[in-house]
Amino acid sequence: MSKDLVKKVFDKETTRREFLKLTGKGIAGFAVTSSILSMFGFGEEAMAATALPEGLLVVDRSKCTGCQRCEITCTLQNDGKIQPFISRIKVSENYNFGTSGPKMNYQYEDGQMGNLKMAPVTCKQCREPFCANACPKNAIVADPNTGARVVVKDKCVGCGTCAEACPWSLPTIDPETNKATKCVTCGACVKACPTKALSIISWEDISKAHFFSKR
Amino acid sequence: MNKSYGWAGKLLRVNLTAGKITTEPTSKYKDFIGGMGIGYKVIFDEVPAGTKAFDEANKIVFAVGPLTGSGAPSSSRTNITSLFPSNPYNAVGDSHMGGNFAAQLKYAGYDAIIIEGKSNRPVWLKIDNDKVTLEDASKVWGKGIKDTTAQLASVMGKDSSIAAIGQAGENMVNLSVIMNGLSHSAGGHGGILGSKMLKAIGVRGNRAVNIAGKGRELLKLNNYMMKDLIGANNQHVVPSTPQPWAEFSHKGSRWTAREGLTWGAAEGGPIETGIAAAGDVNRVGYRTMKATFDLGPSAEKYTVRMGGCQSCPIRCMSQLRIPKLEEYGLSPYVANSCMGYFSPQRVMFKGNKDIEEKGDGKMFAAAIGASLADDYGVWCNYGLLGTDLKHGYESGIFKKVLPADEYNSIPWNLLEEKDPAFLIDFYRRIAFKEGELAHLGDGAYWVAKRWDFGDDYWNNVKYGLWSKLGFPKHHSNETNGQVGSLISCMFNRDAQSHTLVNLVGSGLPIEIQKEVVAEIVGSPDGIDPQLNYTPMNEYKARLAKWAIIKNCLHDSLTLCNWMWPMTVSPHKSRNYRGDLALESKFMTVVTGENYTEQSLDLAAERIFTLHRALTVKNMNTVDMRNEHDGMTDWVFDKDPDIKAFTPGTDKMDREDMQVALTMFYKEMGWDEKTGAPTRATLERLGLGDVANQLAKLNLLPA
Repeated sequence: MSKDLVKKVFDKETTRREFLKLTGKGIAGFAVTSSILSMFGFGEEAMAATALPEGLLVVDRSKCTGCQRCEITCTLQNDGKIQPFISRIKVSENYNFGTSGPKMNYQYEDGQMGNLKMAPVTCKQCREPFCANACPKNAIVADPNTGARVVVKDKCVGCGTCAEACPWSLPTIDPETNKATKCVTCGACVKACPTKALSIISWEDISKAHFFSKR
Repeated sequence: MNKSYGWAGKLLRVNLTAGKITTEPTSKYKDFIGGMGIGYKVIFDEVPAGTKAFDEANKIVFAVGPLTGSGAPSSSRTNITSLFPSNPYNAVGDSHMGGNFAAQLKYAGYDAIIIEGKSNRPVWLKIDNDKVTLEDASKVWGKGIKDTTAQLASVMGKDSSIAAIGQAGENMVNLSVIMNGLSHSAGGHGGILGSKMLKAIGVRGNRAVNIAGKGRELLKLNNYMMKDLIGANNQHVVPSTPQPWAEFSHKGSRWTAREGLTWGAAEGGPIETGIAAAGDVNRVGYRTMKATFDLGPSAEKYTVRMGGCQSCPIRCMSQLRIPKLEEYGLSPYVANSCMGYFSPQRVMFKGNKDIEEKGDGKMFAAAIGASLADDYGVWCNYGLLGTDLKHGYESGIFKKVLPADEYNSIPWNLLEEKDPAFLIDFYRRIAFKEGELAHLGDGAYWVAKRWDFGDDYWNNVKYGLWSKLGFPKHHSNETNGQVGSLISCMFNRDAQSHTLVNLVGSGLPIEIQKEVVAEIVGSPDGIDPQLNYTPMNEYKARLAKWAIIKNCLHDSLTLCNWMWPMTVSPHKSRNYRGDLALESKFMTVVTGENYTEQSLDLAAERIFTLHRALTVKNMNTVDMRNEHDGMTDWVFDKDPDIKAFTPGTDKMDREDMQVALTMFYKEMGWDEKTGAPTRATLERLGLGDVANQLAKLNLLPA
């Protein structure tokens, strides 16, 4: 962490870019999970995920109660309709049986029918994005303002390659438009969460935390 | 096809006899909105007079409405309508469930499912968007609801929602449920699916609920409700403890979040419910800490989190991890709320012994009972299952009516020792219809008749039987005297109407409640202070009508009547006023048609009057006053040393209640003598065809 960064701590965009470089692994969240998030009161199970312009989107599943208001709000904001299937944050598909679906010992596995733990999943905005790299039409590009990988609707042919390529299957083909949907880091889900299971830690705070954790 | 807004636009008709599945447009039911409205219309039009609940000719309607799945807060409610087996006439009844099922059904593209006929082998209905098929259910027939859900989800996909019956439903126990998720049950109709050999309905939907307005407008409405209007569970709008942000507090409030109270078993350590002040949209989900409210302070350390239904920010269902449950052969994980937990405590009528620490017996009984009842799919008739057990046992009647072998095989010693292990034996007998005792599952009317329960049963103030039709009080005389009493008389099962009790229980002082009531019915005299009631007046009749039709509206839109309407608000800056036009604002944005509070209330009046007409048809009499709307004696005879309408009692007066019925019938435009809908009123509400059918059956009042 350079002195410059500390100086520029109030320069959002620079801070964000520097931070993303620092995290190295390319997936913004994973590098900070244990070392830094604990400083913000998040436990081991919290998963840092999306890098938003304002900061890092953190999902804390211990606070997620499965109400799905994030999915509703996501599709209202981005699609003008209510369609949880294409939400860029996924809660309902993992609601009953976690990410891996029902198993013989489902009563002890993730989900409402099991250990009661929710499994919210968000887009990681990967540095080396599987979805964009796989797209045969180059329809997933970085937004020049936010850095988020967004779908260029006109180019998308709805082939589903992005959904196949993503390790978390987050891009989803809207069966009504035959276009891919993926997170554009708008932050609407965070604003709608009634338990702060989704929250944004500002880049300033993260940089400070990172700086102090390295001393 | 034109785009449909709010409504999916079509419904499914599944004929189990023929194995035939068809779709129909929803538009013909538009005057009845959806949900409950569609249910009554279908049953009135299509189920012949004299049909009994388990007859092949009976139908069962799963219906949702234009706001289901729209993202309006608390809008994932499924309304189920069919003849009600525990009712002596099998008159029509509704059961409801929250969870994810309702929203999924909309996303699959359907407003309702009409099930008719009877299969000759166990089947389940698989709805995967446009692909709807009947599947063999022989592998899950005989299984509990949880295993059934897991097995069918492994076929359909993890993102499906399954509504299923347990063994109780299969065995046509009158008191049985249909359930989705771990704990979202609709009580009283499980046996209908059992009689039709339909084990479950699985639904998976990836389509949209379309809205006519802009997404931004709907987001604004959502935010307005979240920020300015919504309170805690039951729309209680003051905290249960004094807090710096709040002018008032009230001990009975379900706004139980406070500093120091946690979800004690949350992953990674306790999460504090804390201050969740009015206006803070990102803490609404912490306001209702129901685990300790329902189960006592012991429950805090077992609380993983709170939970609830799709779209609802109010998390009223306690999600518990209690490792010791494994010693009873159960999963350590259990979830429920209110009666799901209270009913097993009623079964343990001798009390509960401590299990791990002082005072935790109640929680253990609740958790063990909920876990068992929710897997077998046993319903409690709003708690009467335990009451009936208590009466049979304590009166000595069981010793007479149960064969000696059976009587001796029941572990009464566990009950006497206050050991919750009794519940393991008890619920199995009910679900599998084992022996004479299992007739408890028939429901109060039928067991009282079968075992000759006398006046000491019906008129026992502690039992709370409300109606000779075999259902209990559910917010009755103790909820604003005659108003709650009227509400409790109007349905064919316990009144599931929360409009009034939510206002009375809101936590606001009576002075403010009186102002609010004056704005609704034209006079503050519509409501009295608790335990200090005045004789009947026309404003109380209006308030009863208001409460019931809002309830019918919500079960048709569908919205949760345990939260809606937004009668009051937690904000002093709003003078604690809610927004009773909010339903119409959502409807206008979602459907693009101009709805007002008045136009929706009129539709709800139509729905409620259709319910009344259907009850007349089912009971084959117009004399609703004497045959249907009667009350048990304890309501009038309790507190023998205090006269009615003096401070300190909620007893009612016999003559005054007859006046109340007359005034209520008048408000509804029903015949003031009999309480049956008149032709003029039916026609005013666009129910001329209903009047014609009743006339043919000679069931219109003179």
